[in-house]
Amino acid sequence: MSIEHTNAADPDELSDANAPSRTTGERATGERAADATDASDLDAEGLVLDYPTAPEPVIDGASLAAEPGAVTALVGPNGSGKSTLLKGLANQLAPEDGSVLLDGRDVHSMDTKALARKLGLLSQESTSPDSITVEELVHHGRYPHRGFFERTTEEDARAVDRAIELAGCGHLRDREVGSLSGGQKQLAWIAMVLAQDTDMLLLDEPTTFLDLHHQMEVMEIIETLRDESDVTVVVVLHDIEQAARLADRMVALTDGEIRARGAPEAVVTEELLADVFRVDADVAQTENGPRVTPLRARHEKSE
Amino acid sequence: MSGERSAVGGGASTSRSAGTDRFGWLLDPKLVSVAAASLAVVVVAGLVQVSFGAYSMTIGEAWRAVLDPAVLLDPRWLLNFLVGEELMRAITGFRGELPELSHSTLIVWDIRLPRVLVGVIVGTNLGVSGAIFQAVTRNELASPFILGVSSGAGLTILLTLVVFGSLSAFLPLIAALGGSVAFLIVYAIAWKNGTSPVRLVLAGVIVGTVFGSLQTALFFFADDIGVVQSAIQWTTGSLTGTDWAQVRLALPWTVVAVLLSIAGSRQLNLLLLGEQTAKSLGMSIERVRFALSGVAVLAAAASIAVAGIVSFVGLIVPHVVRNLVGSDYKRVIVGCLFVGPALMLAADVGARLGMSVLTGADAQIPVGIVTGLVGGPYFLYLMRRRQNMGEL
Repeated sequence: MSIEHTNAADPDELSDANAPSRTTGERATGERAADATDASDLDAEGLVLDYPTAPEPVIDGASLAAEPGAVTALVGPNGSGKSTLLKGLANQLAPEDGSVLLDGRDVHSMDTKALARKLGLLSQESTSPDSITVEELVHHGRYPHRGFFERTTEEDARAVDRAIELAGCGHLRDREVGSLSGGQKQLAWIAMVLAQDTDMLLLDEPTTFLDLHHQMEVMEIIETLRDESDVTVVVVLHDIEQAARLADRMVALTDGEIRARGAPEAVVTEELLADVFRVDADVAQTENGPRVTPLRARHEKSE
Repeated sequence: MSGERSAVGGGASTSRSAGTDRFGWLLDPKLVSVAAASLAVVVVAGLVQVSFGAYSMTIGEAWRAVLDPAVLLDPRWLLNFLVGEELMRAITGFRGELPELSHSTLIVWDIRLPRVLVGVIVGTNLGVSGAIFQAVTRNELASPFILGVSSGAGLTILLTLVVFGSLSAFLPLIAALGGSVAFLIVYAIAWKNGTSPVRLVLAGVIVGTVFGSLQTALFFFADDIGVVQSAIQWTTGSLTGTDWAQVRLALPWTVVAVLLSIAGSRQLNLLLLGEQTAKSLGMSIERVRFALSGVAVLAAAASIAVAGIVSFVGLIVPHVVRNLVGSDYKRVIVGCLFVGPALMLAADVGARLGMSVLTGADAQIPVGIVTGLVGGPYFLYLMRRRQNMGEL
């Protein structure tokens, strides 16, 4: 399977585009069937997302199925609608049309706390008061598990410990968030989302602006989650090589439309880079996944 | 106030014995020292207040009068002051004459202590209200009056005094109501598929500007200097002439507002993480924001009803507390319960005695003038000391 060109406005093409991707999904699911029983399944159909201020929809009829227990990476150029799509999946934006089903239930009609117990979202920009400690921040991740007057339970404490350990920020536990570096902050925020203890995790560019070490830390956390905790992950990544290395499936977006989806080797091709990212590049398959060497920017209109 | 104090203290002591962490955070050394220092200020300022006046007594005499066992150990007298004579008789079934009190005890308890208590209530309300509004708008320059409350109250005060003079007996309630209505108008203006902190603040400025102009215009129709002075007292905030009726009016609402704000402190903490994070953690952000704002307006309205519009207290108190105990809102709210009354009472001592010390004239100025005079320089100090102010 190679690149599928989807034109969402045309229903025929849309269903065409969906069919092969489904098969890929099923094949991969089959491979993981044994350990994927607990993982959540997220299925978006014909999603149209817009902002009140924007003249036309940012995402115009995207369909996306996150494979249970696998990592799906969303890639695309700036402004292609990756983050918007992620917000739509997480019910942060009400869809104009279409639906998002989490384990068969419409996320838009779910109770917000119930949804937050199943689906965690790490946004791109997170702000917090400088003077709270990492541990306090991570405790906030337990919010959806607590009633209005409930106190923290043993389970909350365990989840917080687990999350801090998994995110590898035990040594930062008592530090104030304001005193941390960008990379350390990101680990703390990831720990907060992990404390939510969800089966489904959406991450919006978790590695952008981090140094190499912290980028690798974040990637390792995601891999551990997939391999050991059966968490379904959808992650927006800026770096296409990184995405190809990390993800089981990749989805490439441009101008709010899904242009390609499938296994990384199938998606990361010279044609796609020319088409979606508007660069001429060499793609070499290595044992660490595809290696992309960008050569030059394409200046002609890609259409 | 005494009710909440003892509840808080009780919580701390049970946690010490049980060793659980439910109230453990109250024992935070910083919070404890803030509370202790504030209590000291409250006691000193309160004693100064009760010892000065037409019938002058020494601090020692005032102290003895406040702690007079004839009142403190007699529930009938306590209830008589706290809920009024009729209710006291209904509760206790007491028919006869209350035992006589000494002259100084009567003066302190009947006339001077209520002013101190109203000061405590107003300081508490404004501190808590400001703390909530600063979290809701995520702006540390927000005050209880940022969302139109003061301008709404001010306008209705002027309307009542100038146009509907016959209603002036209900002035406290009308003022509180006006503030609340203005808050709802602000919310309605800010609402467009939901609100945001910036939209709320801007809508507050819009309503404040319009209502402020109308209020100033109404001054022109006041034909009597007495009316103007009364209006100024209300719109700058004053504790002059407050008695037990004001305590009875504001205390129940204060207790409700304080309990709700402590219960809501976890939501406030989450709001500080930003709208997106709060939403992704499952908070119904609009509902929570409106409910918390409602609690803050309730607290502000309770203070307006008894003391008028006292400026700056609600702005400064959460600031001071945050600087001292950190940004955890559980601690901030509890800290405000202590620092608010301390600042208010200290300012009221200035309002009561400042003029006689400075000029020798036996005149009182509205406490709101003193809080403004103290608040401005404090902000200047903060601005000089800190790099970035504004966003929380």
